[in-house]
Amino acid sequence: MSTTTAPGYIDLAGTEKVPLSRLVKVEVRKALDTRAGFWFAVSIVALVLAVEVIFAFAASDQDRTFENHLGIAGAVLGYFLPILIIMLVTSEASQRNGLVTFTLEPRRPRVVLAKFLAGLVLAVAVMVLSAVMAAVGMLIGRGDEWGVDGNLVFNGFILSAVVSVLIGFAIATLLMNTPAAIVGYFAYTLILPTAVGILSALSDWFNDLAPWIEFNTAQTPLFQGDYTPTGEEWAQIATSGFIWLVVPLVFGIRRLLRIEFK
Amino acid sequence: MINVEGLTRTYGAFTAVDDVSFVCQPGRVTGFLGPNGAGKTTTMRVMVGLTPPTRGRVTIGGHLYSDIPNPGRHVGVLLDASAQHAGRTGREILTIGAQTMGLPASRVDEMLALVSLSDNEAKRRLRNYSLGMKQRLGIAHALLGDPSVLILDEPANGLDPAGIRWMRGLLKGYADRGGTVLLSSHLLHEVEIIADEMILIGRGKIVAQGNKQQLLAGSTTTSTLVTSLTNDQLAQALQAKGFAVTPAGEGLKVEVAPVEVGRVAAEQQIVLTDLRSGDGGLEDLFLQLTSDTQRETLPEGAPA
Repeated sequence: MSTTTAPGYIDLAGTEKVPLSRLVKVEVRKALDTRAGFWFAVSIVALVLAVEVIFAFAASDQDRTFENHLGIAGAVLGYFLPILIIMLVTSEASQRNGLVTFTLEPRRPRVVLAKFLAGLVLAVAVMVLSAVMAAVGMLIGRGDEWGVDGNLVFNGFILSAVVSVLIGFAIATLLMNTPAAIVGYFAYTLILPTAVGILSALSDWFNDLAPWIEFNTAQTPLFQGDYTPTGEEWAQIATSGFIWLVVPLVFGIRRLLRIEFK
Repeated sequence: MINVEGLTRTYGAFTAVDDVSFVCQPGRVTGFLGPNGAGKTTTMRVMVGLTPPTRGRVTIGGHLYSDIPNPGRHVGVLLDASAQHAGRTGREILTIGAQTMGLPASRVDEMLALVSLSDNEAKRRLRNYSLGMKQRLGIAHALLGDPSVLILDEPANGLDPAGIRWMRGLLKGYADRGGTVLLSSHLLHEVEIIADEMILIGRGKIVAQGNKQQLLAGSTTTSTLVTSLTNDQLAQALQAKGFAVTPAGEGLKVEVAPVEVGRVAAEQQIVLTDLRSGDGGLEDLFLQLTSDTQRETLPEGAPA
């Protein structure tokens, strides 16, 4: 196609696509380069440290195991990680920089993928830091039970963090507005399980149904007991996850791919 | 070069852009002119793939924008200087752009110097920028990747007179080196000075295009503003020839072409200090062509 010599023809042969790795790197940077993003990330880690220290002093001797310290860190992360992801996605519309982001990379699915991968990178970084905080908590509390159940690490820590990144992603793409998405997230994560809990207490029938349709409730076995959901519990995670994660995610991503950034 | 072919964009029953076609040539500055809401921004948004066209298409350098890999290296875009995260510093905004395009960090400093944003200003967050500073940053962002095509929506908006002159020189030099420049404006004078080619749009339709001479060719000058050292004597001489004369400011308004006034003055040996067309030239043409799309109706005989 180099035979074309019409004036103003642009030869693209020498130009590479923007590699996905570079898009991910830029998205990670964008999550941390504003005051809001940076201090929120710092606050999450600081909050984990504070909770670990309190636990180190407050817990009884036999409870001060590394496993418990880790579980607490995972629970705190699960609450706040999604908000970091929400801000990363919704700011494109709320702060209007999507105009530039999607002009520099008009292939939107690549930007969406880059944002999701950036969310995972941030989640892993925060998890590693939290594990360090858990170790600090152990040292402060002079705990000596360092053994860790692999199921806890995988189910209670890694899997739940990935799920929370996805939840943040789904709510963010669906609402595309920072305050609305954060309110929506807390409604989903705090109000919804409370309401379901009340209904469950009133009705046995609903109590049986709840874990099948409410994602927070269904995930409880990931953090409790032997950190290993039974077959039925996995099925509950799958059905409620389909309702609260897969469906919103599909609609949200469809929206992000089509929305006209103004 | 930019090639707009039969572009239409509708929103429900509203047609924002209606079968628009034009070409922006390399080595030239093309001015895209029209009143507010005429469809300039929508056209530009379609160019860079932010808005899908209802019909028609736009190619840049022979390609659809979405087919250009790393488009920032080929097409510089400034659609809205305020459309950046308000909490990022000017330098950070350019750094993100440079990293996405795969450019060295030194490019950021070069661009900051080019648009005369000082080190201290570059460290401030966008929310503390004046509109003029945002425009400078936006132009720096558009030029980051050393593109061969520039698409700028109202780039002079908010710039002070010195800034407008600076931008004019910058874009002129850019086009002289072979670049394609498309800039929009609702201010005729801004575009008239810099653009080699002008495209006038009103209510989604192109109403005229061409260079200044071509645009004015159709209209004939029928009135003249003239000032002389002896206005009374000139007025008498003109009236003796049968031309209608009315006082206008320090001089006279005569209902005839300037050449006739000059001839009379030469016959009478009257010293003229000012002689020019009494029509608004391009501005009248612009207002006339877009009159049905203006929000305001001009009072009869209003000064141009």
